[in-house]
Amino acid sequence: MSGLADLKLGFIPLTDCAPLVVAKSMGFFAEEGLDVSLSREASWATIRDKVAVGALDGAHMLAPMALAAAAGASGGLTLDVGPSLIAPMALNRNGSAITVSKALAEAIRAADPQAMAEQPVSARALAKVIGERAGQGAAPLTFAVVFPYSMHNYELRYWLAQAGIDPDHDVRLVVTPPPRMVEQMRAGEIDGFCVGAPWNAVAEREGLGEIVITASTFWPGGPDKVFGVTEAWAHHYPDELRAALRALIRASAWADDAVNREDLIALLARPEHVGVAPEALARALTDEIVFHRDGAGVPRREHALWFLSQMVRWGQVSAGADLEAAADAVYRPDMFRAAALSAGPMLDPAQVFADAPGDLAPLFAGPAFDSDRAGPYATAFSIGRARA
Amino acid sequence: MAAKRSPGASMVLRALGMRVLVIDPDPARAALVAEGLEGVHPLEVRRSARFDEREAVEFAPDVVVIAAESPDRDTLESLREASQSNPRPVVMFVDRSEPGLAEQAVRAGVAAYVVDGLAPARVRPILDVAMSRFALTQQLRGDLAKVKADLEARKTVERAKGLLMKERGLDEDGAYRLLRKLAMDRGKPIGAVAADLLAFAGVLKGDAS
Repeated sequence: MSGLADLKLGFIPLTDCAPLVVAKSMGFFAEEGLDVSLSREASWATIRDKVAVGALDGAHMLAPMALAAAAGASGGLTLDVGPSLIAPMALNRNGSAITVSKALAEAIRAADPQAMAEQPVSARALAKVIGERAGQGAAPLTFAVVFPYSMHNYELRYWLAQAGIDPDHDVRLVVTPPPRMVEQMRAGEIDGFCVGAPWNAVAEREGLGEIVITASTFWPGGPDKVFGVTEAWAHHYPDELRAALRALIRASAWADDAVNREDLIALLARPEHVGVAPEALARALTDEIVFHRDGAGVPRREHALWFLSQMVRWGQVSAGADLEAAADAVYRPDMFRAAALSAGPMLDPAQVFADAPGDLAPLFAGPAFDSDRAGPYATAFSIGRARA
Repeated sequence: MAAKRSPGASMVLRALGMRVLVIDPDPARAALVAEGLEGVHPLEVRRSARFDEREAVEFAPDVVVIAAESPDRDTLESLREASQSNPRPVVMFVDRSEPGLAEQAVRAGVAAYVVDGLAPARVRPILDVAMSRFALTQQLRGDLAKVKADLEARKTVERAKGLLMKERGLDEDGAYRLLRKLAMDRGKPIGAVAADLLAFAGVLKGDAS
């Protein structure tokens, strides 16, 4: 026995919790000498608070949630001065999508028959629908995201704003936990949402909605969830952290491998994990979510800076904040590399150092993102709420 | 922490009454809160199985009570994010099956977490503490914002003074007096006049079109 501590790790029922579920179920944690219990949580706020106070050792996390506090964002209902969170590993790239209700999809087609056929689908036709509704005095359309500090919030806002739709004025934005998105669309409470897999596919399969753009089209290889712990925990348990990261890296590689696809789907479909139909899970696992290849596990500084730029753009963080300092405090590729290299020949070195600056794919539209100029990029958009 | 507590919180509750919104599918917690707040008049405890933004806005609660494990927490949190002007203190109940969470939370400065299964008699002091802590935090936030704004205004005045000294050949005192006169003539704060002056100077120099 290695004498390592027992760990309690939290997750939200989403396809990208796979590295945690696989590492536990396939015994990768156990082989590292870790006795891990997984705890399915009901909200991102609970995940953050439990990790911050030590009720969880680490968790599946929204990357921007980990970055928010370091950048001086106002968020945090309970923890105004909490311990700082760090992201020593990225859990996946891509995975989220924007879905609109059937009724809204029909309205978009009526406004512009070509709109849904063009790739990538732009929100231009949606802008027409919104304009018509405003002219008729109809209530604004309601869109849901999963958390104010999330890829989903920034993705939806970016996509809307790119077509001239102001997400704070032209639509109503609300926050809804991922597992509730579909039922709220069914109840007619929301007209569209941006959420992680499998919930977009679930809405489509149930005939309630249509996916208009997936993250891999929005930003090929764009960032999503991270594995988050507190800085203090990483400091006190460096061996446990390295062991957990090795198990997660191994699990990510396993989850990426097409040979294991059916097993992965069956594992995630179990009620204690994601608990949805295997067919809905299959969709994003086919050519969408990347867990491991192309160095997907490296928590890239450029990704952190893009998230921070969007926090500035939408006024969550002041334009004067030191974005680079926040990115470096939270994103810890050094810890990822230390763990990956300690795993031996299992990992192709290219997977560990695949974050050379300048090799980022561009977003589907909009100004080029230069991570050395995240601040000016944040304020370069015609629609935004940047504040001094 | 006790020393920082606002002494008037209980008095305020007694004088103005209280509206409490309990988000819980189970009516037991709302009943407990109502029992614990007996003696507060007028008292309105409303229970909802789920958080509904419209209902909350209409009800305008003084405090929101929610289970720490509720999926509605992210929604509630986003509202605080969006409506900085009108946030509400939130008290969270932690299930007894999570031993240690509440203690750790309190140690970390999160007094809004409360272990479930408490006696009705403890409800009132807990809500009191949550509300006064919240008021204190709001006040500190407000103070900080004011300090920042004052500092910004002072910098603007300094820059406007510099501009007047350069363009009008005034000394520092003369520049300040001119600014003050402009402010008095227009009935505006000196910082606003200074900002206007700088903006117009920028336009004249062609900084903005």
